[in-house]
Amino acid sequence: MESEGAVVELVDLSKTYRGRRGGVHAVRNVSISVGAGEVYGFLGPNGAGKSTTIRMLLGLIAPTGGEVRLFGEALRSNPRTLRRVGSLVDGGAFYPFLSGRRNLQVLARTHGGEGADARIDPLLEQVGLAHAAERRVKGYSTGMRQRLGVAAALLHDPDLVILDEPVNGLDAAGIQEMRMLIRNLCDEQGKTVFLSSHLLHEVQQVCDRVAIISRGEIVREATIAELLRQDEGLRIEASPLAMAQSALEGRWAVEPDGGAIRVAATQEEAPEVVRRLVGAGVDVFGLAPERRNLEEVFLSITQEDPDA
Amino acid sequence: MLDAVSAELLKFSRHRATWFLIWIYPVGFILLFAIAIAVALSGALPESPGTPSTAKWIENTAAVWYVPPHTLGRYLIAAFTAVVFAGEYGWNTWKLVVLHRRRPALIAAKYAMVLLLLYGAVLFTALLSVVLTWASDHLTGDAIPPGITPAAILHEHGMRAAVTIAPVLLTIAYTSLAAILTRSMIAAVVIAIVIGTAEQTFTAFAPLLSVYAPRLIWGLYQVLPGYHLENLGSWIVEGKAFEARFPRTGVVALGWATSAMAMAAWIGGLMLLTLGSFRRQDIN
Repeated sequence: MESEGAVVELVDLSKTYRGRRGGVHAVRNVSISVGAGEVYGFLGPNGAGKSTTIRMLLGLIAPTGGEVRLFGEALRSNPRTLRRVGSLVDGGAFYPFLSGRRNLQVLARTHGGEGADARIDPLLEQVGLAHAAERRVKGYSTGMRQRLGVAAALLHDPDLVILDEPVNGLDAAGIQEMRMLIRNLCDEQGKTVFLSSHLLHEVQQVCDRVAIISRGEIVREATIAELLRQDEGLRIEASPLAMAQSALEGRWAVEPDGGAIRVAATQEEAPEVVRRLVGAGVDVFGLAPERRNLEEVFLSITQEDPDA
Repeated sequence: MLDAVSAELLKFSRHRATWFLIWIYPVGFILLFAIAIAVALSGALPESPGTPSTAKWIENTAAVWYVPPHTLGRYLIAAFTAVVFAGEYGWNTWKLVVLHRRRPALIAAKYAMVLLLLYGAVLFTALLSVVLTWASDHLTGDAIPPGITPAAILHEHGMRAAVTIAPVLLTIAYTSLAAILTRSMIAAVVIAIVIGTAEQTFTAFAPLLSVYAPRLIWGLYQVLPGYHLENLGSWIVEGKAFEARFPRTGVVALGWATSAMAMAAWIGGLMLLTLGSFRRQDIN
């Protein structure tokens, strides 16, 4: 396990699909860096380029520009680095005519690494599939396939785990188990997790840092805390509102919010806001800090993008 | 590499279509054999003309080796190869395994697995054929010709097996390429059948067609694999070149080394194209 340095580096990564009417830019100049031991969230609306980026990261599709570096080595010149990566893509595609256990045995042999066979039973137990291990995968529900996909991703004890929509098809209990598993991979086992999900509440709970991709480009990259702080504000009920607004404008961004105003100030700045209002002769009736959740931040960012 | 081949065997050991296309050799043989015995015991056939010659007896036991290099056998091999190579697209499972091995190694493992299972099945059928022919002669009271030795049986079977190598490899090579390019089992089978039929038809009718374009057909005949397959078979079985008479341009009768090199180029080229195509392919 790398103790320092980037585990994943995408440098100006691009993918353009040739078409009759010119190229379609699925991904444009994406550059991100994921450090060892991080849980990194990769977010974006449908069609934003998440899956294409993940497929390039896994060597499934070739970039038309830029570079993927894993564990400090260029993937193109050293594809063997992928042997340190475990992945769940497309909800866990498996051989439908084989049992869950047999699918994992096939993967263990394909990988050829030491100890993978011995990990099959504990992993089936861990993902809650021990009871269905001998059943053919074609009889599995979406959630069961997803669980088997996670087991497959962890089979050869990878240093980097890439999970594309890992909670799809899981029930509430399954989602909670998955959340704990992901945090455990990072906190207890020191693995790096690269996670894509459209369930932003889950991302907010498990990720250290996120990148938001829209129309093939990274539009924001920050820690969860930074991202939420960026959209922090104060909701102020005051009278007269027009006077309140003009007293604060110039120092903070102010916008009407129903019968109140919303000021883009942090909670620490609240006393200064109140002093200004009182000094301007405004009556203050109420002040409440407003913190948006990740979903609201995500929507505001992706909707800021005029093309999105 | 052994791990990858073993993974392939494990994977396809539970796949019904694969087993049908492999077990069809021994099962088909047993069925035909049972029918022949039943007919013989019912007395529906005229009296046997007598004990077959040693060579004929041994040749009969090697009949299964005639299946893989001929039309039906090659269609079966094409279907088997298509399932093994294109199946991964249908099940969406390439993305499951390409992380673990270099892509050329995965393709090489598939070639090894196809050959292992196919030749395993035909070899098993050939063994069955020897044992059952011997046992049935005992049961029905037919005399077994003298001079049948394990060495003589091995020689005949080895020679017949050698004849199958080039056509089997060629069929596997163009079907695998079709499977990788089309990403579809059905398309790969259809393309393989069309190519196989066209190749055999051209080889059979080229001398007739040559009256319309003598030089072109003469040239194509010596470049395309059909003649070389016939020629290698002829060299192995009869020890001489296969002669094809063209009315305007003369006789084609090439040495075994020329045909061996031509087939190596065709098979190697198609397999390299398969590897190259898969190495550069986007797996969505």
